[in-house]
Amino acid sequence: MRSRRALLQQLSAFAGVGLASSLLNPKALAKGAQDPRFLIVLCATGGGSIIDGPLVVKRSESATPDALNTFPDDVVKEWQGSPFRAADLSMNSIGAIPAPFSTRPSAVLERHRAELMVATLTGTSVNHQIAERRSITGNEAFRGRTLQELVAWQYGAEVPIPNVHLLTGTGFNDSGTDATVPAWARRQVVSDPAIWPLSLHGTKGLERGLPADVLHSVRKIREQQFEPATRFAQIYGESPRLAEWARLRGAPQDRIEAMGLIEKLMVSEESPELPLSKFGLRSSGSAAAARAAFPNTATDRLHAQAALAFLLLKHGVSVSVTLGPDFGFSYAPGVSEGAGLPPDSVLNPPLGFDFSHQAHRAGQAVVWSRIYAVVDGLIGLLKAEPFAGGGSMWDRTLIYVATEFGRTKTRPAGAEDWGTGHDLNNGVAVFSPLVPGDTLRGGVDPDTCLTYGFDPETGDPDPGRSTAEAEVFSGLLGALGVDREDSGLPDVPALRRA
Amino acid sequence: MRPEPQRPSRPAPRGPRAPRLRLAAWAGLCLLAAGCAAGPRTTSRINRVQARSGEVWARDLGNALGLQPWELCAELGTRDCVEEAHRVTLGGVEPAELGIDAPLPEPSVSAPMAADRVAISACGERFARDKAGPALLFGPVLERDSRRRRAEVSEALVLRVLGRPAQPAELDALEALYDDIKDKADDPVRSWAVGACVVVTTSTEALFY
Repeated sequence: MRSRRALLQQLSAFAGVGLASSLLNPKALAKGAQDPRFLIVLCATGGGSIIDGPLVVKRSESATPDALNTFPDDVVKEWQGSPFRAADLSMNSIGAIPAPFSTRPSAVLERHRAELMVATLTGTSVNHQIAERRSITGNEAFRGRTLQELVAWQYGAEVPIPNVHLLTGTGFNDSGTDATVPAWARRQVVSDPAIWPLSLHGTKGLERGLPADVLHSVRKIREQQFEPATRFAQIYGESPRLAEWARLRGAPQDRIEAMGLIEKLMVSEESPELPLSKFGLRSSGSAAAARAAFPNTATDRLHAQAALAFLLLKHGVSVSVTLGPDFGFSYAPGVSEGAGLPPDSVLNPPLGFDFSHQAHRAGQAVVWSRIYAVVDGLIGLLKAEPFAGGGSMWDRTLIYVATEFGRTKTRPAGAEDWGTGHDLNNGVAVFSPLVPGDTLRGGVDPDTCLTYGFDPETGDPDPGRSTAEAEVFSGLLGALGVDREDSGLPDVPALRRA
Repeated sequence: MRPEPQRPSRPAPRGPRAPRLRLAAWAGLCLLAAGCAAGPRTTSRINRVQARSGEVWARDLGNALGLQPWELCAELGTRDCVEEAHRVTLGGVEPAELGIDAPLPEPSVSAPMAADRVAISACGERFARDKAGPALLFGPVLERDSRRRRAEVSEALVLRVLGRPAQPAELDALEALYDDIKDKADDPVRSWAVGACVVVTTSTEALFY
């Protein structure tokens, strides 16, 4: 957009720097907008342990299997030549919650491990909020900018809402601290994916609305005649807050309304609770496919987030979306109080992955299964979506399964389920055609269940090394092609596809 | 929130020296400041402007329009706009389920549209009720539409919503709205009444403090 380019030109001039960084080069940003990459930050909220995900350790591999978080060999599925495993589990309860469940992560890894990379990592905080933030800033590695902001800045100059956060209230949703990040690249928070689209038009869908051309006149008179005549605007007219409000009322608003996003992003279907047609609205034409992939959009916030995330990317509204399970307890529709809990009725245990404090094995299994289901659904949808320049949208997408930390590796001797604490030692899973597929960077010591690092250049495992947050952060930016000129970040070519 | 009644201005210092000192100080400032010939500065140097939360704004809106908070706006007839549908967008908090325990520091990209929706809905409701009678706000134009009666409504709107008398230029702006829409609206009276109400209730003076 012209105004954004002008702003960037002014910014680079003000900063007194050349246009070495493409982030300050309007032409480069315009080019980036034509050849974008898409980032999906899928937050494994609560501490997704990598050794309960794709790096499970078999009992037979460990010297002290009863004392460590190892799995019976017969539940572990492996693939020849692949570093990844999956533990297919069935248990009668999730800790104190009498809800039987079965998980089959092997089915998802069977389909998608060819585009899965795991990088081991040792974090720097076991505080949820702080560790969440560090997972998206690389521990403030690039002037406090977040991954989402950088992707939005690099590729989102031409889209209306580049950086959307569908998960709320976590450190994964923090804004960066660099004031030079353009306002349009900063996060936009969506609190309820089902009804947020209703805020994307000034009058459409209202029972007592105004005709569009009348609303146009109302806005014109308000902004060009009434407000300038008020003493308030005369006194505070130079307020940055009012300037930002005026900016939002301008091109972004016009664009969002003209694109018809109130309907294009309407994930929900017609229902007695949401009588769309009565108000002249209808569900998005692409929502049926999204709801097929995420069938519980009406009752499960994560499914609603995932469905909307797909629509945001598909319709060219955003280039970065952040979503994930929250700390709330949710269960399948149809479960009634006092009737007992049928198998697989718990969708999200309380505290997400952090339910591991009470029941590590079951809690990790249920929430990893949830994460895998979202990965599976999004990849399927994006693969089916052609990109205008050729290929599919998936070809240019990276799903980063971000998490705070791992969990302690020990268990009471032979316990089938137990509680764990937070542990800095962990790893992250990344699904994308932009990273080396079916690849593990680093490794796991089966005698301690601790992960170890890798050579950032070659990717060779290095048991004497641990991977820093900044290295993973930089590696992901490299895979996404985000300019790191003058960032001071370490180069980590091992995390990007050659 | 309506501004509090203006406090009486501070009494002038007594004694013959005070006016001369003030004059000297003013002259000194004029020498330092560019553009002093244009008179005293009328813009804020600090520009400390805050957004009213949707809840506060809607409460004032309800008071001004004689509507209860739940009568202002309901998305799809079921979701209260301010309490539920646009709560966070309009600067509210939702700590219990969403973990949003402070207003978002930056305005949401959809906040101006959400504010328009609430205002259009609330003003439309007021117009419908006035039409059914007895009228609270739009009576003069419902009885017989004319420039003078629109000015009456405009004055009442500014007084009720912004808590101060309307300035002539503001009345002119609201009258200009009529000129702008009279040929394109099916129901110019309603469109003007609701539109003028939206202009005032979503002006920056109403949304910020």
